[in-house]
Amino acid sequence: MSAAPMIEARGVHKYFGGVHVLRGIDVSLAHGEVGALMGSSGSGKSTFLRCLNRIEEPSEGQVLIDGTVITDQRTDVNRVRADIGMVFQDYNLFPHMTALENVSLGLIHVRKRPRSEAKDAAASALEQVGLANHLTKHPQQLSGGQQQRVAIARSLVMQPKAILFDEPTSALDPEMVHEVLDVMRTLASEGMTMVVVSHEIGFLRKVADQLIVFDAGLVVERGPAARVLDEPEHERTREFLRALR
Amino acid sequence: MHMTNLQTTFHQWRKRWAYQPWFRRYEWLVLGLAMWIGVALLFLPPFGRPTPLGAASVIAWYLAGFTMAGVLLSDREKPILLKRATSLSVIVLFFGLFYRYSGTRWDRVQSQFFDFSRMDGVWEMYAQGLLVTLQVAIVAAVLSTIFGLTFGILRTLGNPVVNLFLGLHVDFFRALPLIVSMVLIFYALPFVGIRLPAFWSAVLALVLMNSAYQTEIFRAGIESIPRGQIDAARALGLGPGATMRHVVLPQALKTVIPPLTNNLVSLVKDTAVAYVITVPELLTNAQQAVTWKRTPTPLVLSMFVYLATLIPLIHWTRRLERRLKVGTIL
Repeated sequence: MSAAPMIEARGVHKYFGGVHVLRGIDVSLAHGEVGALMGSSGSGKSTFLRCLNRIEEPSEGQVLIDGTVITDQRTDVNRVRADIGMVFQDYNLFPHMTALENVSLGLIHVRKRPRSEAKDAAASALEQVGLANHLTKHPQQLSGGQQQRVAIARSLVMQPKAILFDEPTSALDPEMVHEVLDVMRTLASEGMTMVVVSHEIGFLRKVADQLIVFDAGLVVERGPAARVLDEPEHERTREFLRALR
Repeated sequence: MHMTNLQTTFHQWRKRWAYQPWFRRYEWLVLGLAMWIGVALLFLPPFGRPTPLGAASVIAWYLAGFTMAGVLLSDREKPILLKRATSLSVIVLFFGLFYRYSGTRWDRVQSQFFDFSRMDGVWEMYAQGLLVTLQVAIVAAVLSTIFGLTFGILRTLGNPVVNLFLGLHVDFFRALPLIVSMVLIFYALPFVGIRLPAFWSAVLALVLMNSAYQTEIFRAGIESIPRGQIDAARALGLGPGATMRHVVLPQALKTVIPPLTNNLVSLVKDTAVAYVITVPELLTNAQQAVTWKRTPTPLVLSMFVYLATLIPLIHWTRRLERRLKVGTIL
């Protein structure tokens, strides 16, 4: 493995009109590391996550994936994105396609793999997230937890270098949260680099290597998950954790 | 226990009546209706045209009766039979007045409007006319849809120059009456050297107008697709074109079908405007048959040809919409 971090952000700024949403974020995640982003709503954590694959264009600063600068205007952003999975809060599955078609779309049209091969790979990715019996169902026929697992399979099948999770369990009913977290836990144990925006304290404590706390567009605290959760140093972190309990 | 069913019913009736406002009570309404009809008949002379004062009083009286019927019909408690009787008498009176006092020569209707004895050769003209109507409609529909879809996609790309031109096109041809653009194309453009055959002038005018409407339809359909769908597609590594083709358009087309079929149905109807520029379509042929046969029958019957063509089309689009709606729930 190369020595360069898998995901690195250097001085990332973001303006929406006149609003300064990100005010210089530096983050570095090694291969196989799980980084968790926390912070109250509007603190910039989701925007920062979206900057990592340029779904949101950073206004200033650099993002490096596996040592390659991707914020350069000359980089082929589609190739970069194919190598970084992304899972959204609202699943964002394509409602006009079956689970299998959702998962194989990227392989067929981005990776240019033959259809039959793509379908096989998609089926095994869906099996991996425990949905082998739901291949031909449309998203509307699946529960929230199942939909989110299809979304994870959709990222996974591209064999990404890293996966970005944007509040993957926030839209789920409580009893479905664990099925999604289980899949994510397995992924982490298999050495997938992940950046997770989440407030699932129990999950983060077990899985996250690095916990990064955002407030008003700045990182106010970072460190090993257990340390940040148990002995928060910054006043905002303490307030935030108190509010979560 | 001692009470019979009849007694119970009567009791309930009494109770209900006691809480009715006076104007909703049966006696008044039935009496009012009878008086209304009676006075309406009194106002009208039994033959000939009514005097202006008579006509005005009938109209006023008619409005008063209509209000009263409205009051009656608005009450859910009233028996359905009474409501039906009221609606029916209002309708009968309205058409009765028209029948009696509009001055129509009803005895001539059959001999003038439905004179099948003079229809020799007219059926063939209908067939030829309908063929041309459908040719104009199909060519115009296909071209409008192609342009509408293209322009609709282009409008969502956010290029200011493109948007300016397409915005002008949309504003211009939605504001300009179809008949005006058709007449301009066929009768004015030859003076500056542009000569289009009548058929293509009609098609051009129809395409210019309907592609403007369809631009807006397709644009709205594309813009109705949630931002998250595009984010998800782009995050997979699909480019803008592939995102449009595989994710946005398939969903947008589904939402667009009801307004689109609506537009295409009115396009078929609008082909009749081509009559003014001598395209030998259905209406033109019917009108020619009128001068040829010296009877309005061909014109009247052409109405039924239009209806027989368009009503099935409308029903088919409605079925299509219903099927799609079921499809989205599934």
